[in-house]
Amino acid sequence: MMKRTPHLTAGIISVPILVAAMLGFNFYAESLESKYINALAPLDIRQARNGSALQRAAVQQPDLLPIYGSSEITMVATDYQANIFFQSYPTGFAVIDIANLGMSSITMAQNLAALGPALKGRKVVISITPAPFTMGALSEQYYAGNYTRLHAYEIIFSPYLSLDTKSAAAKRMLDFPSTLQADPFLKLTLAALNKPSLPTRMFYYIAWPFGELQAIVMRLQDHAAVIAYLQAHSINPDIQREARTIDWSGTLTAALEEQKMHTLNNPYGVEDTKWKNYENLLSSPIVPGLGDNRFIRYVQGAREWDDLKILLSVLQELGAKPLILSRPMNIHLWEALGVSEQAQNTFYTKLHDVTGPYNVLVIDYREYGTDIYFSIDQASHTSRKGWVYVDQTLDNFFHGRIH
Amino acid sequence: MWIKRLTTFFTDAYTNPKIKATLLVLYYLAIIAGLIIMYGKGDFSTVKFVYQGF
Repeated sequence: MMKRTPHLTAGIISVPILVAAMLGFNFYAESLESKYINALAPLDIRQARNGSALQRAAVQQPDLLPIYGSSEITMVATDYQANIFFQSYPTGFAVIDIANLGMSSITMAQNLAALGPALKGRKVVISITPAPFTMGALSEQYYAGNYTRLHAYEIIFSPYLSLDTKSAAAKRMLDFPSTLQADPFLKLTLAALNKPSLPTRMFYYIAWPFGELQAIVMRLQDHAAVIAYLQAHSINPDIQREARTIDWSGTLTAALEEQKMHTLNNPYGVEDTKWKNYENLLSSPIVPGLGDNRFIRYVQGAREWDDLKILLSVLQELGAKPLILSRPMNIHLWEALGVSEQAQNTFYTKLHDVTGPYNVLVIDYREYGTDIYFSIDQASHTSRKGWVYVDQTLDNFFHGRIH
Repeated sequence: MWIKRLTTFFTDAYTNPKIKATLLVLYYLAIIAGLIIMYGKGDFSTVKFVYQGF
């Protein structure tokens, strides 16, 4: 055969050598990621958000708790923020943030889908706020700003997710066409998933090996990007661990004092730097309950609920053990802006209606609605004091004290 | 003189079926490695945007 078709034979022999080299590289990269992930956890690394390799290493590490979220995680730079607060493993674990401004439920679903079976039995925290359900729809620029092809391929071609979940994700992803412009193959696959029929299902199954192959290539590229990062930065994999008992009451008092120093120019607990956004709105009194109908209509119809359902389906199908960690609405501030407490409760009711069927742990901090220092603004971005409550919850969740 | 010897070495090597096969495999692996070096770098950048809150 070699004599008749020497090039074909050589080509065929090259393939297993190439596959073996790729497997070797994958193994080497995963061992490096596992070795360095604890040291990388407190750092804000773009590849941790935009790739999957570090996220996969994090969920597999027994002393790391990944927290997925948005601006409520990243907006206030404070030592009370979980990934800094738990940096020295005071109670035996640290937190890794997979968070970015404008990151929504659908982006989190894509990120988590990419972890596949690595998520099975693992604890993850999904941080949400009432804002995307009560104040404004997910904009294309926020979605695009957090979109990566790797995560898109991982959710759409995942062999671990049901067709229903993938179809729901596809339908939503088609709402952001700018992210699909450069990828007609993915766009076509999304369109096929979105319109279930025999021919479109057949198309999906024909497209699947190509999509999965593309995902494998991107996974290897992700590993290469992590290795390049490690080579470019001198990271010491040996981390300092300092076990101690946390004085939660003292920490809360200190955080409150600090928060008050940043909230001096208004009676609603809004951070001084953000108050100018509300000053004009509240310059003349608003009729109580004036905005109730509009608010309730908005909450009931918010698209973010559908995205949250996709996220919950992904978590359920991959066997994760999630904690859905919401934030309280600032009752007094919302009331001043014309939305009564009764109307505000629509959010909490809907949140539990949507999450209920998935049988997940949900904490909404509703009882802190009258605490003006829990958040820094109407969008429930977590304050220094709010972070202490969150930290305590994370500690309880990690150690199995929340059921 | 050394060019002649080198040419003879390669000519002899290429007529040996085993060496020829090995060289061909290496040739294909080199092509693949070249392609990976040229086009293998992934792009994980995201579109820049200005966060304007909710």
